[in-house]
Amino acid sequence: MTAIAALLSSSIVQTVLVGAAILGAISGMLGAFAVLRRQSLLGDALSHAALPGVCLGFLIAGGRDLGSVMAGAFATGALAALIMMLIVRRTTLKTDAALGIVLSVFFAVGIVLLTVIQSEGGSGSLGLMTFLFGQAAAILRSDLWIMGGIGLAALMLVLALWKEFKLVSFDADFARAQGFPVTVLEAGLTVMVALAIVVGLQLVGVVLMVALLIAPAAAARQWTNSLGGMVLLSALIGAASGAGGALVSATTRGLATGPVVVLIATGIVVVSLLVAPGRGLLWQAAATRQARARISDGRVLATLQGFARMHDDAGYPSERGMLQVALGAKPPAARLASLESRGLIRSVMHPPETTPHWELTTAGHTEAAALSGQPGDTAKGGTE
Amino acid sequence: MMRDDTLHEPDQALHVEDLTVTYGANPVLWDIDLDVPPGVMCAIVGPNGAGKSTLIKAALGLVRPVAGHVRFLGRPIGQMRGQIGYVPQRHSVDWDFPTTARDVVEMGLYRHLGWLRRPGKAEHARALAALAEVGMQDYADRQISQLSGGQQQRVFIARALVQDAPILILDEPMAGVDASTEAIIIALLKKLRDAGRTIIVVHHDLTTVQSYFDWLVMLNVRIIAQGPVSETYSADNLRAAYGRHLAMIAVPAEEPAP
Repeated sequence: MTAIAALLSSSIVQTVLVGAAILGAISGMLGAFAVLRRQSLLGDALSHAALPGVCLGFLIAGGRDLGSVMAGAFATGALAALIMMLIVRRTTLKTDAALGIVLSVFFAVGIVLLTVIQSEGGSGSLGLMTFLFGQAAAILRSDLWIMGGIGLAALMLVLALWKEFKLVSFDADFARAQGFPVTVLEAGLTVMVALAIVVGLQLVGVVLMVALLIAPAAAARQWTNSLGGMVLLSALIGAASGAGGALVSATTRGLATGPVVVLIATGIVVVSLLVAPGRGLLWQAAATRQARARISDGRVLATLQGFARMHDDAGYPSERGMLQVALGAKPPAARLASLESRGLIRSVMHPPETTPHWELTTAGHTEAAALSGQPGDTAKGGTE
Repeated sequence: MMRDDTLHEPDQALHVEDLTVTYGANPVLWDIDLDVPPGVMCAIVGPNGAGKSTLIKAALGLVRPVAGHVRFLGRPIGQMRGQIGYVPQRHSVDWDFPTTARDVVEMGLYRHLGWLRRPGKAEHARALAALAEVGMQDYADRQISQLSGGQQQRVFIARALVQDAPILILDEPMAGVDASTEAIIIALLKKLRDAGRTIIVVHHDLTTVQSYFDWLVMLNVRIIAQGPVSETYSADNLRAAYGRHLAMIAVPAEEPAP
C-alpha cells in the first residue's frame, strides 16, 4: 500500500494519470456518438492519417513541440477526412473501401517520414516512436492544459447541442427535413473526434487510438438504455481505462501505454457483452433457458391434465412411462422436482405398481388450464 | 427584404415543376410536373426504381435536383420547414439507438424548441398526446428496440403528428406492418385528411389504392398520371406505369379481363 501511495504522490504519475483520465473521458464521450453514427472506423482512419502530420509538425518545429505536432496531426487528419468524403461522393467506391485506401496511404507516408527523421538522427527524434503505440510518461504538466481545454470545449459543445447531436445521430434525414444544418453538425462531431484523437496520440498512439473511441462506447451501450447514460458511462469507462493503462505502463519499464489501455478497455467490453442485464449474452442465455423450462413445464402439466380428463378423474395418477410416451421424451427429473416444489404436481404411489406416479394438484389444474387457454376443470376439484 | 415573399402556385399543397433528379448519369426522375391540391389524401405509386422516394426527398430538399423547383402552398421548402411532417422509411434508422418512444416523438419538436433549449413538461405532454393519437400511449417509456415493426412505424408517425403540420408526407408507412396496424394508420390519416390536412403517401400496394386514397400520382421516372383516383386508376395507366405483365388483381374491376 505504501508503495502505491508513494507512487501516487509523485507529481509525474499524477500528471500522467490526470492526462490519461481526461483523454479517456473525451474519447469515451465522443466515441459514443461515433459508434451510434456507425462511424467508428472513421476514427481509425483519422488516427492513422495523423502520423504524417506528427512527423511534419516535428520537422517544422525542429523538435518535439506538442503544439506543432498536434497542429500537424490535425491538419493531415482533416485532409484525410476530406479525401475520403470526395472519394465516396465522386467515385463508385463505398465508404469502407475509401477508409481502407486513405488509412493505409496516410499511414505509409507517415512511416516513411518517421524513418527519414530517425535516419537523420537529431535531438528527440527517438521520442517520435512513442506516437506509434503511445507513451503516457511523455505527457508533461503543460500538456494537461491543452488536454483539459479541448476536453472542456468538447463537453460544452455536446451539452449545448445535445438534442441536435441526438437527432442527427438517430435520424439525419429527418433532421435535414426539419431544416437543421446537418452537414455542419456532422462536421462538428467529426472535428471533435479528430481533436480527441490528436490529443490522445501521445498517450495511446496512432495504431490503437480507435479502440479508445469504440470500446468504452460499446461497453456503455450494454448497461444503459438512454443516450445520456451511454455518453456519461462511456466517458467514465474511457477515463478508467486511460488512467488504469497509464498507471500500469508508467510503472513498468518500456511498456507502451496504448496496448495496456486498449486491453483494459477491451476487458470491460467483454465483461459487459457477457453479463450486462438484458443485453448480455449470459443474461440472454439464462432467459432462453427459463423460456425452455416454462414450455417444458407447460407440456408436462398439459399431459397430466389430458390423462386426468381422459379418465374423468382430476386426481388421476399418471405413471412416468406414460408421461414419457406422451411427451416423446423422458420428462427431466429436475423439471418434475421443480413442478412439485411449486405445488403444481404431487408424487403419489399407485399400488400394486412400484413405479413413480404423479397427479395434478388443484393449482396444477388451474395452471395447466391457463397455459392451454381453456377453462379449467378445477370446479370438479383436484385432490385438495 | 432579403426574402422573396412572392408566392408561386399558392393554391397547391405541393407544386413540382420541371423536376429532374439524376444519380450519376441515370435520370431517376425526369421532367416531373406535379400538383397536389390541399386537403386530399394522395398516393404516389409506381414500380420499384420508379423514383417514388426520390421524389419525396427532392421535394423536401434532401436530394438536390439538377433542374426544376418545388413549392409547398406557394413557398419554397426553406420557408416551410416545421410545417411539413415527414415520416421516413422505418428501415432508414437504427432502432437499437438508446432511447424511448416518447423521446423519438419529442424529436419532432426540436425545431420548434430552437437552439439550446431542452424539451420540458409542455413537450412531454405534447409527445404523449401524439403517441395517444396513434394508440401508443402505453409504450411511451419503452425502449424503441423493444417495439414491433408496426409500433415503430406508429412512433414515427407520432413524431410527424406532434408538429401539428398542415402537410404530412409518409414514405411507405405500410411496408412490413400487420393488417391491424395498417388499419389504424389509415383510419388516422383519413381523420387528419378530413380535418383539412394534406396527406401524401408513397404506397406500394395497388390493391388498396382505391379504398384508401382520393388522389393518385402514378410514377415511373416520368409522371404517368395524376388526379383523382376515380379518373387516374385505370388499366391503361397501370400498364403504362408497370408494364404489360402487371398482375390482373391491380386492374380496376370495371375492365373486362382479356
